[in-house]
Amino acid sequence: MSGRISPRLAIALAALLLALLLLPWVAGRYPVYLVMHILILAVFSLGFNLLFGYTGLLSFGQAGFFAVGAYACAKILLVVPNLFLGLIGGVVIAGVFALVLGALSVRHTRIYFSMLTLAFGMMIYSVAWKWRDFTGGDDGLVGIPRAPLEIPGVFSVSVSAIEAYYYVVVALSLLAIYVMRRLVHSPLGLALQAIRDSETRAAYAGIAVRKYRLVAFTIAGVYAGLAGAMLSPLENTITPPVAHWSTSAEPVLATLLGGIHSFGGPIVGAALFYIIRDVIVRFTEYWLLVFGIIVVALVMGFPEGVMSVFRKNRGQTPMKPGSDPK
Amino acid sequence: MNARRSVSYVPFLLLVLAFFCSPTYSQCKVGVPAIKVGAQGAASGPHSDYGRQIEMGSIMAMEEINAAGGILGCKVEVRFMDDENKAATGVRNARMLVTDWGAHFLVGTDSSGVAMAIAPVLAELKRIEFFTHAATHRLTEELVAQKGMREIVRVSVPVYQDAIIAALIFKDRKDIKRWANIGADYEYGYVSWNLFKETLKKFRPDVEFVGEAWAPFLTLDFSPHISAVMAQKPDAIFATPWAGEAVQLLRQALLQGVFDNTQAWWQAMGGSVDVLEGITNEVKADRFKGKLWATARYIHNWPDTVENKQFIERFQKRWKRLPNYSAETTYSAFFIMKAAVEKAGSVETSRVIDAMKGMNIRNPGGVRVFRDADHQFIYNVPAGRPVIDPRFPIAVLGDLKIFPAKDYYRHPPFTPVSAAK
Repeated sequence: MSGRISPRLAIALAALLLALLLLPWVAGRYPVYLVMHILILAVFSLGFNLLFGYTGLLSFGQAGFFAVGAYACAKILLVVPNLFLGLIGGVVIAGVFALVLGALSVRHTRIYFSMLTLAFGMMIYSVAWKWRDFTGGDDGLVGIPRAPLEIPGVFSVSVSAIEAYYYVVVALSLLAIYVMRRLVHSPLGLALQAIRDSETRAAYAGIAVRKYRLVAFTIAGVYAGLAGAMLSPLENTITPPVAHWSTSAEPVLATLLGGIHSFGGPIVGAALFYIIRDVIVRFTEYWLLVFGIIVVALVMGFPEGVMSVFRKNRGQTPMKPGSDPK
Repeated sequence: MNARRSVSYVPFLLLVLAFFCSPTYSQCKVGVPAIKVGAQGAASGPHSDYGRQIEMGSIMAMEEINAAGGILGCKVEVRFMDDENKAATGVRNARMLVTDWGAHFLVGTDSSGVAMAIAPVLAELKRIEFFTHAATHRLTEELVAQKGMREIVRVSVPVYQDAIIAALIFKDRKDIKRWANIGADYEYGYVSWNLFKETLKKFRPDVEFVGEAWAPFLTLDFSPHISAVMAQKPDAIFATPWAGEAVQLLRQALLQGVFDNTQAWWQAMGGSVDVLEGITNEVKADRFKGKLWATARYIHNWPDTVENKQFIERFQKRWKRLPNYSAETTYSAFFIMKAAVEKAGSVETSRVIDAMKGMNIRNPGGVRVFRDADHQFIYNVPAGRPVIDPRFPIAVLGDLKIFPAKDYYRHPPFTPVSAAK
């Protein structure tokens, strides 16, 4: 998890950025739509990996915060058509939920933590399903507008076209990736890794373990909320399955595919997740079966995730939990 | 020309021959290589038979249209996708089918939730979807009649059939005064029950609604729901779980003696082929004692027309099965689309919608009439009691009661129906 970027990586990232910016000009609407989904899952997975890869806490309930962000953004947009308000509202409300539920969840670790997060996630799912007057029940919230990006009296930009909204998603995702990178290489990130590697040693070193875990949990919730908030205007509809545990499995799978112990792992995993699925559904309705086989092969072939290949090529050894940094 | 050289010409000659002999679509009059139709339905999970039937109906319609020269000389292509009964998957599929594969039309979707999620996206995609199963009244009443989303067209009858027909059948049963509900725990179940109560009360102010139990998707054990409502000593049960869940519910009701202690059981969508297949043995043994009533958005033994009989024969020959209603509605949607494209002389969305105005078309399920106010094709559908008919391998609906479409459809301007418990 080195903070340095090699010149070759910098060039590759610049090329990727250029490709992202040019995409709506050179590709059809479907690739644009697909890349937006990849970016949303990447942001969602980055937050998850802060908990899992960096802090050692496996959450099965991140979809709860994803849904809170999505529903909050949707409700705001349906009342006040202002994308700024919707996105900020989604992030803030998801963050508040994460702070409150995190305070209860981080009292435990290992399987107990995982089960608690699963329970809280499914509680949010039940609320989304049952509270028909507020959430629309099983039909969800329909007709969520891609409202203008607006600060009243200052500027107003229409993003109703999917290509325009794409740039909002790209900008927010890149910002989220940059902030997360700064976070994990800050003293906070190092403290979280210390907690992951040895809770006892970290406590003896003066780190307030539970407080740091709560911070990580809240940040992960904020990232899930941002991802959910970006989804609502994209799909125009939000339904309860976004809060289901199977949605929580998506960042887990993306992170495992890309690599837990690599900053870029969740991003690469999100891309792999969508690309593999998209290719398979073109050939068979039984895509889950084929997808499962490919995932098994990838996980067995790359136990450290696909990103481990690049580290090995650069002669680096992955930093595993408990190992001393070289 | 030696023998070896002449052999090398054979594939070329065959190709030329095939070009001139096979039905060609080089004369496509709407200027596209083919008219592409993206279909989707629930093809996995407990309701997967409905998606399969949508796929079968689509493919058969495509084959028949192509064999007859296509639409305005254009070949029809179909691509089917599994929406997994999930709104997000349905929307993603719709986007993929239109913006990646190039679908000119969309058709299908089983779940109301999936339909309601796809519908608002259709304007952005600039494509018509022919909805062939999803029964929520909001699709046409709210999204089309109130909000003016023109790209929505529904070929199948909505929840009116499950609720209003039931009320019309049982309004004259003076022996039934106490009704209880075992409902599907989502909007379809709530609206069906509320609309049934509202309609029945108009005719029978004396009836009472004495119990409600709600079963979510994937319920396997209905015994608590059955016990809960039977404790209120109802005269009749109104039930809305569908597909395999309906079969499970009916079998458990038999085990718990419900048919010994009530006068009637209304099973919405109980006339669908998959449910009738599941209860055929019980019908043969007369275990429902003639108290089970059911309906479906089309049944294979009605109407008694040449079109329907020939459709059944062709379907059985092609798929070795009987069609359920989603197969018929999807099959019919293709012929509605064909007629509209031929009238419009174009696949352009607004022109095709305009061409449907005033449409009156004969399908296997009967005559369907387009209602411009809510883009709903209206038609007559029967309800009846499952019986054994030696002409068919499974139970069919008999003792049919048929109501004219104008009597059981709701009409604009629409008054609100509660979509809550």
